[in-house]
Amino acid sequence: MTDDPAEMSMTAIVRALRGRTLSPVELVDAYRDRIEAGRDLRAYITPPGATARRQAQRAAERLARRDRGALLGVPIALKDLYATRGVRTTAGSRILRDWVPTGDAALVTRLRQAGAIIFGKTNLHEFAYGVTNANPWWGIAKNPIDPRRSPGGSSGGSAIAVVGGMCAAALGSDTGGSIRIPAALCGCVGLKPTRGALPLDGVFPLGWSLDHAGPLTRTVADAGLLFEVLAGRPAPRPVRTRGLSVGVVRGPLTTRIQPGVRARVEAASGALRRAGLRVRDVRIPELEWAVATQLVTLRAEASAVHARWIRRRPRSYGADVRVRLQLGALVSGADYVVAQRARHRIREAIGQAFSDVDILMLATAPMTAPLIGDRVVRWRGVAEPVDGALVRLTSPFNLSGLPALSVPCGLAGGLPVGVQLVGQWNDEARVLAVGRLIEELAQ
Amino acid sequence: MPVTERDQLAAAARAAGLRLASQDLDHLLVAWKRYRALVDDLRTRVAPDPMDDDD
Repeated sequence: MTDDPAEMSMTAIVRALRGRTLSPVELVDAYRDRIEAGRDLRAYITPPGATARRQAQRAAERLARRDRGALLGVPIALKDLYATRGVRTTAGSRILRDWVPTGDAALVTRLRQAGAIIFGKTNLHEFAYGVTNANPWWGIAKNPIDPRRSPGGSSGGSAIAVVGGMCAAALGSDTGGSIRIPAALCGCVGLKPTRGALPLDGVFPLGWSLDHAGPLTRTVADAGLLFEVLAGRPAPRPVRTRGLSVGVVRGPLTTRIQPGVRARVEAASGALRRAGLRVRDVRIPELEWAVATQLVTLRAEASAVHARWIRRRPRSYGADVRVRLQLGALVSGADYVVAQRARHRIREAIGQAFSDVDILMLATAPMTAPLIGDRVVRWRGVAEPVDGALVRLTSPFNLSGLPALSVPCGLAGGLPVGVQLVGQWNDEARVLAVGRLIEELAQ
Repeated sequence: MPVTERDQLAAAARAAGLRLASQDLDHLLVAWKRYRALVDDLRTRVAPDPMDDDD
């Protein structure tokens, strides 16, 4: 175990705090040193202030009295679209730069009830509407592994904070991959739980039928613990992984993948086979429709949220988000219906695949972190927009609402690669169990 | 006088209550063309026009 508190997993922190070998104040100070040293990465919009240290002191007193809270004294960062009572909540925008909510988001309340220290508000793509985290108002977020590169988004600040040792864990949101993509590109764990498992009250919306809340963490066990607290559920039942059936998704959707990413995913599936899981190939041709289906659905739904502002004050948006919202205002009802028909077929096809396997497995993103400013990726000369490529493998599971986890599975060209595990409705337990196994086998 | 796709898009944007500068319209036109191509392809695959066979 590391001696540096900023490098410890959240589950190790919980043990150390309870055993009083680590104090919450010491932990908060270690994270604040990292935040200061890493300011150029632009992880935070509102870094934790003096209040966090006072919360840590109170937590230390409670720990001394042997108070028990699942996360007592644990500093958790929030993507800056979670409403926080008395603390500015910008959603990464200029429009909400001075918004100070009068109440907490439901999940923030659950964190406080568990004793967590609310530890600052992290950077995101403006209104969470993009996956590069190039925020024109609050700074272009940078990948902690290579600052010339994007951390991915839209929960990029949360991923930077976790990987950079600037918090014990963080919350993000995921409408097309916005937890899993930055987790994969920065090298941490990201869980998008089953749609509806976590309440979205007080989370600034992007697409009402696609939005999910969830954690970004250093380890899979951390993600399981945080999910358990957030969902208000008991710990998932122990799962025996030996004999589980894993379907590796093949087909056109997964042919456009960087060779280094493919090699890491293949290595992970091989390791699972050797560990006694049944690994087979699965083809779901309907997944090819996901990017178009997601595009139509999200353009329409996001424009509904922003209907008034995009008409009255379009210059208050950054260029990329402005165009997306203006386009959304032109989406017809007929287009939306076509997209929902496709979505229904995609859901059915994924459900059919689960009649043969317990878990689906594929890369989280087809590429490692792109250089900041890259707009296009080329596959044997064929251009694909970077934002479309990054959501290609994640968006099907926003459309289906199924739980999906991104787990680090090594490096390609020195950059992190994430493998994605998808489970059946409300089956976070098996997703987390297989994720934990991949993590162990990679060590 | 021929109506261009740009003109049609400008008219649709005005009808939707959007205020677009000329440069905005240029950016929107690029995004719109990509969007239409994707949606038309999706429609063909998922919901082909029931009258297509009557030609």
